[in-house]
Amino acid sequence: MTLVDDLRAILGSDRVHSHPLELLVYNKDAGVTTGEVVAAVLPETTQEVAACVRVAARHGVPVVARGAGTGLAGGAVPTEPALLIVLTRINEIWDVDTVARTAWVGPGVINLDLSRHTEPLGLHYAPDPSSQAACTIGGNVGANAGGPHCLAEGTTVAHILAVEMVTADGDVVVLGGKAPDPPGLDLRGVVVGSEGTLGIVTGVLVKLTQNAPAVRTLLLTFDSIQEAAGTVSAIVAAGIIPAALEMMDRPMVVAVEAFINAGLPVDAEAVLLAEVVGLEAGVAAESQTIERIAGEQGATSVRIAADDAERALLWKARKSAFGAVAQAAPDYYLHDTVVPRTALVDVITEVYAIGERYDVQMLNVFHAGDGNLHPLVAYDSREPGKTEQVRAAAEEMVRVSVAAGGSLTGEHGVGLEKRDLMPLVFAPVDLDAQARLREAFDPEGLLNPGKILPRGSRCYDYGLTALPGEAAP
Amino acid sequence: MGPTQAQLDTCVTCGLCLPHCPTFRLTGDEVASPRGRIVAMAAIATGELPSDETYAGMMSFCLGCRACEAACPSLIPFGLMMEGAREQLAEDQPSFTGRLRRLLVGRLLNVKWLLALATSGIGILQKLRITRFLPRKLRIARGLRPLRVFPHTVVGVHDNTPAEPAGSVALLAGCIMDEWFPAVHDATRGVLQMAGFQVHSPERQQCCGALAAHEGAGDAARRMAKQNTAAFAGYDYIISDAAGCSAHLKEYAEWAEGGESVAGRTKDVTEFVAELIADGRLPRAEKPNGAVAIQDPCHLRHAQRITSAPREIVRAAGYTPVEIDPDGLCCGAAGLYMVYEHETAEQLGEQKVEQIAATGLDTVVTANPGCEIQLRGHLGNGYRVLHPIELYWESLS
Repeated sequence: MTLVDDLRAILGSDRVHSHPLELLVYNKDAGVTTGEVVAAVLPETTQEVAACVRVAARHGVPVVARGAGTGLAGGAVPTEPALLIVLTRINEIWDVDTVARTAWVGPGVINLDLSRHTEPLGLHYAPDPSSQAACTIGGNVGANAGGPHCLAEGTTVAHILAVEMVTADGDVVVLGGKAPDPPGLDLRGVVVGSEGTLGIVTGVLVKLTQNAPAVRTLLLTFDSIQEAAGTVSAIVAAGIIPAALEMMDRPMVVAVEAFINAGLPVDAEAVLLAEVVGLEAGVAAESQTIERIAGEQGATSVRIAADDAERALLWKARKSAFGAVAQAAPDYYLHDTVVPRTALVDVITEVYAIGERYDVQMLNVFHAGDGNLHPLVAYDSREPGKTEQVRAAAEEMVRVSVAAGGSLTGEHGVGLEKRDLMPLVFAPVDLDAQARLREAFDPEGLLNPGKILPRGSRCYDYGLTALPGEAAP
Repeated sequence: MGPTQAQLDTCVTCGLCLPHCPTFRLTGDEVASPRGRIVAMAAIATGELPSDETYAGMMSFCLGCRACEAACPSLIPFGLMMEGAREQLAEDQPSFTGRLRRLLVGRLLNVKWLLALATSGIGILQKLRITRFLPRKLRIARGLRPLRVFPHTVVGVHDNTPAEPAGSVALLAGCIMDEWFPAVHDATRGVLQMAGFQVHSPERQQCCGALAAHEGAGDAARRMAKQNTAAFAGYDYIISDAAGCSAHLKEYAEWAEGGESVAGRTKDVTEFVAELIADGRLPRAEKPNGAVAIQDPCHLRHAQRITSAPREIVRAAGYTPVEIDPDGLCCGAAGLYMVYEHETAEQLGEQKVEQIAATGLDTVVTANPGCEIQLRGHLGNGYRVLHPIELYWESLS
């Protein structure tokens, strides 16, 4: 029996893909890297996932978990021929507890659907990646996803109480529980952000957050990136942590406006989207302070969303940013680094310089409040040598960010994209410790191998593989 | 033929379209998603993989609702790409059923006497109460309004010319609209005359070609577009009271030389009348009439991005519009789809019926014939399904 036969015996033929065309559509996520998928399956229960993992283990085929495929760092792209377990069909929401404000959700539940589901209860799920209309909770757990509103609320890890997970040998375990601080080692915290390398998450106990009684969203316009960045620092220095504080530069605003027609200022060098939430009186006061600070920093205009519809439109504009880039060029490479807020201006100036040096078109959209940069390079991969140029520019941007005291990744995960840059922030001894942890969960190296940790992280190489196109280790 | 490289390049594979796609929603499968379909189209276009049954199945499973287009920040022309892909498929893999479908929508629907004959036949079956014995797969017949036994057409109609007309309107008669929905045409003509327009339904016009284009009968679609472009010359406005047709007329630049002139003058009757009401050139009902459920045809909401117009018309008719679906997911009609992808169409139809039932209302307005047939077929007795323009005309009469 082949792997595919065994999988069909479990799931039937409709939920097992093995045709080359069907596998092709699964060989990449929203990023730039592709991998090889030997079969893609769509299980509907935890038991089916466990059975698929056991079959794959028996055949010695690695397993990669996938949600909606909106990841940007290649987390769901295999580094070697693998079985892809697609979790979109495990999308139930159960056990919504309005008193404890928690809910169990399947990994395939779409982020925004969860908040829509709990809206009548006055609750929502706080982390809101820009792709929240499409991305799944399982994928969010894998990447420890962030989002505009994580500035005040924290990223995914702060909102996950427990995970149900299929282990590398096909057992089902629950890590964590309803108690906010479970006894023993915090394995739940270890799993969040592990990108499917420790197990395959089949259920998630999430925290739900109270909807704010009052919300105000402001769109601030500036003649320079420097003024906008200065405003960000000044707002935080004034003791205000807005619910969200987002920046877009002019090329980005122009691309988004063509799609959204929201009346965005296409001639401004930078715009800030700020949102304050809370009780009405506090919201009014904070909003006035932000307006005053923006004025002092040189804002040329302030637009306050008049109602929920306008607020939704402004957010849709921000969250459509990366997709809108195709209007500039057929391919894009979206980066994700974090720098200290105080270094924003210097790093952005340097990012533009890198763009010029490598002759690539640079658009910027980012979570300014927490210094999470998303420089976006628009390019045409068919132009000879362009992809290499873009990758080189990317690496330099990461190096600049790290040198400024920042981090490799804000919220997209390490995946393939940043794997080989990990030594920039970790010493060999740190990497070895992480590799040991991973080995404890997955001694055979069958779960999403070749991700996060670069080759040679362990004192012996236990099977990490090369990026497509690279020589094997 | 086939989607162009420039169109394929428009997709950056961000995946924001996925949750808006009804078939992805049902299956959770990338293979049944807009992004997956584009990746497949690109693989066939470059010759990376051969055009085979799996590819044909992927293209056929798409409803053509274009919800992905409205969600796409890259402004991808997905509808045109799917039409191109299907035209290419018709050439590469000419199946018997595919030929039959293209013959139906590319030729037969456009033969007036044949459609009239079929209409009379169904009308007689309805009078004999035989249609209720039809199999579920032919729900389309169960969702029809009572049809006329004697032939009827608005083609060639020249309504009274007002002394100082506000402008000239060419009414697209359409294929099934003309035969199966005469009351919608009557309401449209009545309302437009009331607003002072000279309304003609020009001779020599044809079916708009939308169904032919969707089914990959590209040559037929181009032939119809060419003839209509000539037939509709000289009118100030071209009005269609079927959302699928107005959406297609607005894309005539792709289908006929000079077609951009048709596209520029075309308005769906809902947007045209809503503007006239807003300008005070058409009245609003004085007393409240109750509430009705609103169903957005995909080719109105997603393809033309028209959402407020039907609601404004319903309000002007004295009714409160009640929303049934925040996402405007397809009802599953999608032209011939409800026949050849019956199972999926049924699932989507049932979803829509549940949403309507949740409102507790017994009247639903929808501005497209396919949606109406699907809703009637699924809702059964006890519901009234009509075009918003009919509701408005009724309130004025």
